[in-house]
Amino acid sequence: MTPAIETIDLTRRYGRMVALDKLNLAVARGSIYGFIGPNGAGKTTTLRLLAGLLEPSAGEVRLMGQKLRIGGAQRLVGYMPDFFGVYDDLRVWEYLDFFARCYGIEAARRRRTVNELLALVDLEHKRMAYVQSLSRGMQQRLCLAHALVHDPPVLLLDEPASGLDPRARVELRELLRTLRDMGKTVLVSSHILSELAEVCTEIGIIDSGKMVVSGPVDAVRRQLEGGARLRLRVVHGQETAEATLRALVGEPAPELPRLRGVRYDPADERVLLVELEDSDEERQAALLTRLVQEGVVLSEFRTQAENLEELFLRLTAVD
Amino acid sequence: MQRLRSWRPQLNPIIVREVRTRMRGVRPYAVLTIFLVLMALTGLGIYQLMVQQARFGGTLLSAQVGQALFKGLAFVELLLVVFLAPALTSGAVSGEREQLTYDMLMATPLRPAQILWGKLVAALSYLLLLIVAAVPVFSVVLVFGGVELAALLKALALLVAATVCFGAVGLFCSALVHKTARATAVAYTLTLLLVGVPLLLASVWGQVTNPPGQAVPPAVLYLQPFSALLSVTTIAPTGDPALPFFGYGDPFSGLPLLNIFAVGVVHYGPAGPVVLPIYRATLLAYGLLTVLLCWAATHLVLPNRRWRPRWSDLGFLLLIVILLLVVYDARSWWHVQPPRPF
Repeated sequence: MTPAIETIDLTRRYGRMVALDKLNLAVARGSIYGFIGPNGAGKTTTLRLLAGLLEPSAGEVRLMGQKLRIGGAQRLVGYMPDFFGVYDDLRVWEYLDFFARCYGIEAARRRRTVNELLALVDLEHKRMAYVQSLSRGMQQRLCLAHALVHDPPVLLLDEPASGLDPRARVELRELLRTLRDMGKTVLVSSHILSELAEVCTEIGIIDSGKMVVSGPVDAVRRQLEGGARLRLRVVHGQETAEATLRALVGEPAPELPRLRGVRYDPADERVLLVELEDSDEERQAALLTRLVQEGVVLSEFRTQAENLEELFLRLTAVD
Repeated sequence: MQRLRSWRPQLNPIIVREVRTRMRGVRPYAVLTIFLVLMALTGLGIYQLMVQQARFGGTLLSAQVGQALFKGLAFVELLLVVFLAPALTSGAVSGEREQLTYDMLMATPLRPAQILWGKLVAALSYLLLLIVAAVPVFSVVLVFGGVELAALLKALALLVAATVCFGAVGLFCSALVHKTARATAVAYTLTLLLVGVPLLLASVWGQVTNPPGQAVPPAVLYLQPFSALLSVTTIAPTGDPALPFFGYGDPFSGLPLLNIFAVGVVHYGPAGPVVLPIYRATLLAYGLLTVLLCWAATHLVLPNRRWRPRWSDLGFLLLIVILLLVVYDARSWWHVQPPRPF
């Protein structure tokens, strides 16, 4: 099946500045794709290009298998910008009705669509309220509803969680899951990875206009992990354990894992974090045996996966 | 199906939204009230002025009062319209940009021409409401008489043309400049240039020509709305005994300031004042200017590739060609020359 969103060497320049440099992106249909990167990485430029609001300097965009032409994205894409505005002097239902009219939806279907969307974003009780009287989270949900009036297969949400309180973020995540269940392909950008880590099926990390890594969340994690990290909680023999481990850094033993470094967990002084160059379980077991033989008493010995937040920081770190 | 559906006639969404919100709140009613109060006070002031003249021994006929009211009210209404129209439209596009709704609007299938058309119609419909609301005040003129219905209709046509044209000036500035405050400033600057420069040129024309004292070419005043209105409201003697004309010596009915706009419009000959009907050229020029400004605005409103040819350009081109054909065909109607000096 062709991807819902595909970019081929997509490039966008602003004068001499290259905002997006040969971006190759493929988002599978029905997935929630987390597009992550620090501020100024090129996320908004990418989304504006996908929404047909910007012209690429080079490369091309394909939506649902069709090459994107100027003005051709509108019916395929629902776009929610990062800094969205609302018409303050409109009532909530009028706001959705206005955008439904913009898409040429006939009167009977328009009424039905407005009602369904208000129910979807849980704003039925605010139907007659003025948009300006809504809270930030409600406005965000209303803006998301506006992007759905024409029932597009692809949704582009630019920083939808920015400025939301924790409850509103949870509600947004629930809404994203509902959209996925409805069969929508959602591309959601954020500079805060934890906002998306739980809900996304795929992620892409962009930095300085270039895609650093992209794919299903677990695959990206595996691809980037390379080695592993051991977490050791030492009950007795802390000095011995540290000395043994430090001796192995740079001087590997044949049956033991190759160690990159050893450090204490800043949150718990009895926990040692050991960076390994590989994730061979046999060697990790041999290391545990060696420590026990040297009289170290451990209450915890386990591999610890690097979380997405740490991956993101590592990948986008300034050299 | 989607293509077919988009061809189905439906109200422009921008007009629907603007109409829904335009009359919300106190402001539109306050503007309407102030507008009507100003019009009523103008009428009362002119009437008092005429009565005052009669007290000092002048002969005052009902028709004279009617003519003076017609001139005074038409000028005040034009003044208000010329300065309200750019203000009402100069936030049309820039306001969307400032409100951060521009991208959302551009992401819909609405065409730029639809957006601008909707904005222009919505803003102008409010101005037309002001003009229509002032009709009862204007109808006082009919009570006193002295003004032909044709003159009233000509004045109304000029008011509407000026409203649309100066509205288009505001719309153009709104698409050109991204901030509403700046767009309004640019729109007012253009309005002042359109009003002031022809007047300035006309007032110094006689001094800078060689030999001095030559008549101002009417073309200088084609875009000046007040001179055009003066050419409609100044009732010259017709020689028709059924329509007596009073006060040959003063075509301004004793109203102050109107003579400022008379340079190049009212010419004095041995048979009395001759009024050049420059409003005809003004109506055509405003039509052309409106179409050109709207065409430019439809390109300026685009987020990218602004000046790439579009299908809508063909429509504008057709409109311009039709207007130019009308201009050419009706040249004997609008192209007037000042009488030779005696």
